[in-house]
Amino acid sequence: MYTVEIKNLIKKFGTVTAINNLSLNIESGKITGLIGADGAGKTTLIRLIIGLLPKDSGSMCTLGLNPDTQKNELNAKIGYMPQKFGLYEDLTVIENLRLYADLKNVPQEFDKLLEITSLAPFKERLAGALSGGMKQKLGLCCTLLDSPEFLILDEPSVGVDPISRHDLMQMVKNLITGKTTVLWSTAYLDEAHSFDTTVVMDKGKIIYEGKPHDLAPDSAEFENKVIDLMGGYKKEESMIAKNYTPGNFDIEYAVEACSLEKKYGSFYAVKNNSFKIKKGEIFGLLGPNGAGKSTSFKMMCGLARPTSGTAKIMGTDITKNPEKARSNLGYMAQKFSLYGNLTVRQNLEFFASVYGIGLFDRKKRMEEIIDVFNFKDIQNQKSEELPLGFKQRLSMACALIHNPPVLFLDEPTSGVDVIVRRDFWNHITSLAKKGVTILVTTHFMDEAEYCDRISLFYHGETIALGTPFELKKNAGAKTMEEAFVTLIKESENEKQ
Amino acid sequence: MKNNRIVFALIKKEFLQILRDPSSIIIAFLLPLISIVIYMYGINLDSVKVVMGIKNDDANPEVQTLVKSFGHSKYVNSIVYDNMTEMTDAIVRSKIKGAVVIPNDFSTKLSRGQSADMLVITDGSEVNTANYVQSYATQIANNWLQTSRYKYLVKGAAVTPEIRTWYNQGSNSHYFILPGSIAISMTLIGMLLTALVIAREWERGTMEALLSTQVKKIDIVLGKYIPYFVLGMVSMAFNVFLCVGIFRIPFRGSFLVLFAVSGLFLFTCLGIGLIISSKLKNQFLASQVTLGVGLLPSMLLSGLMFPINSMPVIFQWLTYILPPKYFITFIESEFMAGTIFEIVIINSIFLTVLGLLLFAVVYNSTDMRLEK
Amino acid sequence: MIKDILRRIFALAKKEFITTWKDPKSRGIIVALPLLQLLVFANAITMEVKNIDVVAIDRNNSVESRELISRFKKSPRFRNIYLTSSDKDFRSKIDNQKVQIGLYINNDFSKSLRGGKQSNVLVVSDGRQTNSASIASGYASQIIQEYVLEFNKGGGASINPVIRNWYNPNLEYRWYLLSILIPMLALVVTLLLTALSIAREREMGTFDQLVVSPLSSFEILLGKTIPPLFIAMFLTCFMVFCIIFFFRVPFMGSFVLYLISIFISLLSIVGVGLFISSICNTQQQAIIGIMIFQMPAMLLSGFVSPIEDMPFCWQILTYINPARFFMALSRGIFLKGMGAGDVITNLIPMIIIAAITLTLASRTFKRKLG
Repeated sequence: MYTVEIKNLIKKFGTVTAINNLSLNIESGKITGLIGADGAGKTTLIRLIIGLLPKDSGSMCTLGLNPDTQKNELNAKIGYMPQKFGLYEDLTVIENLRLYADLKNVPQEFDKLLEITSLAPFKERLAGALSGGMKQKLGLCCTLLDSPEFLILDEPSVGVDPISRHDLMQMVKNLITGKTTVLWSTAYLDEAHSFDTTVVMDKGKIIYEGKPHDLAPDSAEFENKVIDLMGGYKKEESMIAKNYTPGNFDIEYAVEACSLEKKYGSFYAVKNNSFKIKKGEIFGLLGPNGAGKSTSFKMMCGLARPTSGTAKIMGTDITKNPEKARSNLGYMAQKFSLYGNLTVRQNLEFFASVYGIGLFDRKKRMEEIIDVFNFKDIQNQKSEELPLGFKQRLSMACALIHNPPVLFLDEPTSGVDVIVRRDFWNHITSLAKKGVTILVTTHFMDEAEYCDRISLFYHGETIALGTPFELKKNAGAKTMEEAFVTLIKESENEKQ
Repeated sequence: MKNNRIVFALIKKEFLQILRDPSSIIIAFLLPLISIVIYMYGINLDSVKVVMGIKNDDANPEVQTLVKSFGHSKYVNSIVYDNMTEMTDAIVRSKIKGAVVIPNDFSTKLSRGQSADMLVITDGSEVNTANYVQSYATQIANNWLQTSRYKYLVKGAAVTPEIRTWYNQGSNSHYFILPGSIAISMTLIGMLLTALVIAREWERGTMEALLSTQVKKIDIVLGKYIPYFVLGMVSMAFNVFLCVGIFRIPFRGSFLVLFAVSGLFLFTCLGIGLIISSKLKNQFLASQVTLGVGLLPSMLLSGLMFPINSMPVIFQWLTYILPPKYFITFIESEFMAGTIFEIVIINSIFLTVLGLLLFAVVYNSTDMRLEK
Repeated sequence: MIKDILRRIFALAKKEFITTWKDPKSRGIIVALPLLQLLVFANAITMEVKNIDVVAIDRNNSVESRELISRFKKSPRFRNIYLTSSDKDFRSKIDNQKVQIGLYINNDFSKSLRGGKQSNVLVVSDGRQTNSASIASGYASQIIQEYVLEFNKGGGASINPVIRNWYNPNLEYRWYLLSILIPMLALVVTLLLTALSIAREREMGTFDQLVVSPLSSFEILLGKTIPPLFIAMFLTCFMVFCIIFFFRVPFMGSFVLYLISIFISLLSIVGVGLFISSICNTQQQAIIGIMIFQMPAMLLSGFVSPIEDMPFCWQILTYINPARFFMALSRGIFLKGMGAGDVITNLIPMIIIAAITLTLASRTFKRKLG
């Protein structure tokens, strides 16, 4: 029994072929993981399967229906959670649930769902005010309301912390029946490894289809195998780092947070946050969604004004002399925040000149960056049209364009494929070796291992600070992920 | 039944969004209030008072009384000049909007029972005011003549035109401009609010999630029409209350008819807004187009401020596709003359036809997929 | 140092150009829409009332009364004359807006004309369109008066107003209208260009990126001011060009003065737009902000009714309205050849408006960071 049967499917956008003669069967009652490089065509495939996009040629059958002509019948049987789930941010949690219950024509009973997702206390909160993890949980709730026969999730765990990610997985497993088919697109290979089937896509084609355990017995090995499938990753000398010309800074602590505090009314978003980052150190800021990481981040680079305390970048006080402090800073925001209607090249050029690179140097620098980041083919494409992974790469490139001695990266690898992530971290670690100081947040716990030191953040406070090894030792955990979960739980228990 | 539930859910959602979003409230209630207050107190379309210069070259003391009567008119503020260059200068600087020059043979000619010239200079750069200057000057001079020493030398003129303005005896322009401003406010609510809402759903990605549920096209379309229709009608009631209840504009028609036809008008406006929105899928462009093709034409080409009959024929035809034209004709008549069957029917038919056509276009241009 | 600042401002301005100009849809809307409006409004709008239809009752039915009616027929302003004898028909023609004017000639018309008792010709106008009604009834009574005067020709004392309309000899409404449309359309376009620019960046998150960069508030402000100013300037000049060469309105003043006036007027509008934008978090709010400013700005600009004629406190309010001065300048320079001194008087308030709004805007950028 197959839920989805696809034969020789082709889909083009203008001259670009997104799906190239693809054939695929998805088995009923199984969880199928869809993985692949950025721009491999995963989202397009999903949209084709449920009839959101019309196909160009080939045959397609979902749940025995033709998505092109029977979209409405099909929609009644499926649950689809798009990458950017359409929660109405100006509606409360419960109002969103009610809306989707009505749209899906199911009874308005949410107690169980709210219980499982622990969203119950936030029932009356506006969806827009929820943390990233909670938004995704709510989105999943809305999708699962009518117990669909076929559940399609497009990267539900992007930007979600390990605990919430675990919850999401549990939710899906608890809420589906044995007959439900799940198609789950993900960038987390440990997730993919735990599914029944794995489908790997590349350049609009399927390059592997089979059981994940056939590929590798454990998830670390699985990751390497997938990387091999996608063309392999050879760790090379980082060209970015090689071309980096360090400034002459004689300073011990490149970044200092001095009792940063942010209060909204009587609520502390960040409480007494202090740390110092040595020059050339990679400092990781970890913590669940909504713990106050982003607020700290924003205060550190002067985007939010601290209620008290301050931060120094290369010795310059960010509240007193923001322009000077920022000229030493490369910043990569969590949300893609470059100019969508400018091309890749225009974006780079813009940031190069804003950061004061002269005309002659600019040309050279841009060619370098385009070369290093492999933007040659897409340099004249509008950046809003790029797949998520490329957007992240472009953001990183823009943050690095002026050779800053300090880099602030807020979830730089969210939604980026595994090869690019490895490449990213290769650059990051190499840059650190050249003396660049890096403050980074991430939800990939394997990435946390690259950090020299980690500050674990929860409820606006630092609950642990140390090297990855120290943290793991404290928590008595084998992996960083375990350590994360244990330390958070411990802090939770202490509070109670 | 199943379908009803979806429509209700979408309507309820839209209402919650309207209530949470101050901008809908601002457009529906604050803007009409501001415009009504401005029309009521800020601008005056009735008897425009003009500042005029007077230069008298006739030394006859009787003519002095003419100069005085310019000073006594309640429509004119006069400034007496002795020096022509000074007066010219004042016109250039817009200090005075016109001038009267009485030549030195003025009284001589009148006393001989002849026609005497009087030079009236207007500032043609402001055409309306120039017209007022002309007619005020002529009127004041003629009235003076009837009471002056020369009145026995005036012949005939036993027949005079008597002007009666029906429906608006005192020619109080508030009676006509306020119903007009209601029409403009309704246009704005109908077009601008809806132009933004569908575009917003595309921009925020909520449309993709909606499209993957069993929601049908008609659900989406009705889910947009109905809430904004209700909001528009509430705002209409608010407008009518302001005009009739607070500012005491006489209303001679039937409220039932007024609201029924307003409903039809709103229906067409919502259609225009939704078409713009679903075609452009971008708030910036949608608002530009709405203001450009919606608001300005409905103010300037609807017959509210400028007569449609005087336009070149092509543009008169153009006004046939502007819903405000019908609504303004109707609402002015309903307020000032009461319900006149023929006017109500003709305008309602046009509005209904336009509204249904637009509804069909909205229905067809609502995409149910991410790409055509 | 200066070079760095210039480079950054240039980069920002360039980016703004690309985003507004490179997108064919937005380019089309920014350029084509105002020009289309200029074309349509300039041709369609007039305050003159033409094609007036009349219903007439002639109770006199004499040579004189028929002559009077034929005067109406001959007048270019009047179109159809419906003769009727029934009062009901007379009433319903006006009620149903079949005609704009009703003419009622009493049976003693010819007698009084020949020097009998004083009598009236009744002119009924449709007050539902108060403006055009009063103009139309003015025309009608003018025809009657002229006829009566002519009938009694040969004299007596009378005053003959010799009318000289300066700057616009035939009082062509279009001349006036065009000089008003320039500021009005420029106001609409410029506000839209500027008011959405910062709000949009806030919504997209790109504003954070700008704030984190070494750009100072002042530089952001300049980068945001120059492109819309340039685009609006270009557009306005093009409109002026069209008005002079296609609509053949004589330009009486100094081009240089006019260019300077346009520049400063637009600058003050840009200032208002950026200020609106800086206090708004979303595009939707900015659009509402535009509406709240634009509607009163147009109504209180002197276009609808003269400023001098407003109540005093409303007159004061117009001093913060750049549209008021822009219109005065446009009319003054275009049609009247206003001199430098008067131009400066009108420019000063706008310079003050620009200075205040731009300063507030750049202050607000920072404060909004929370």
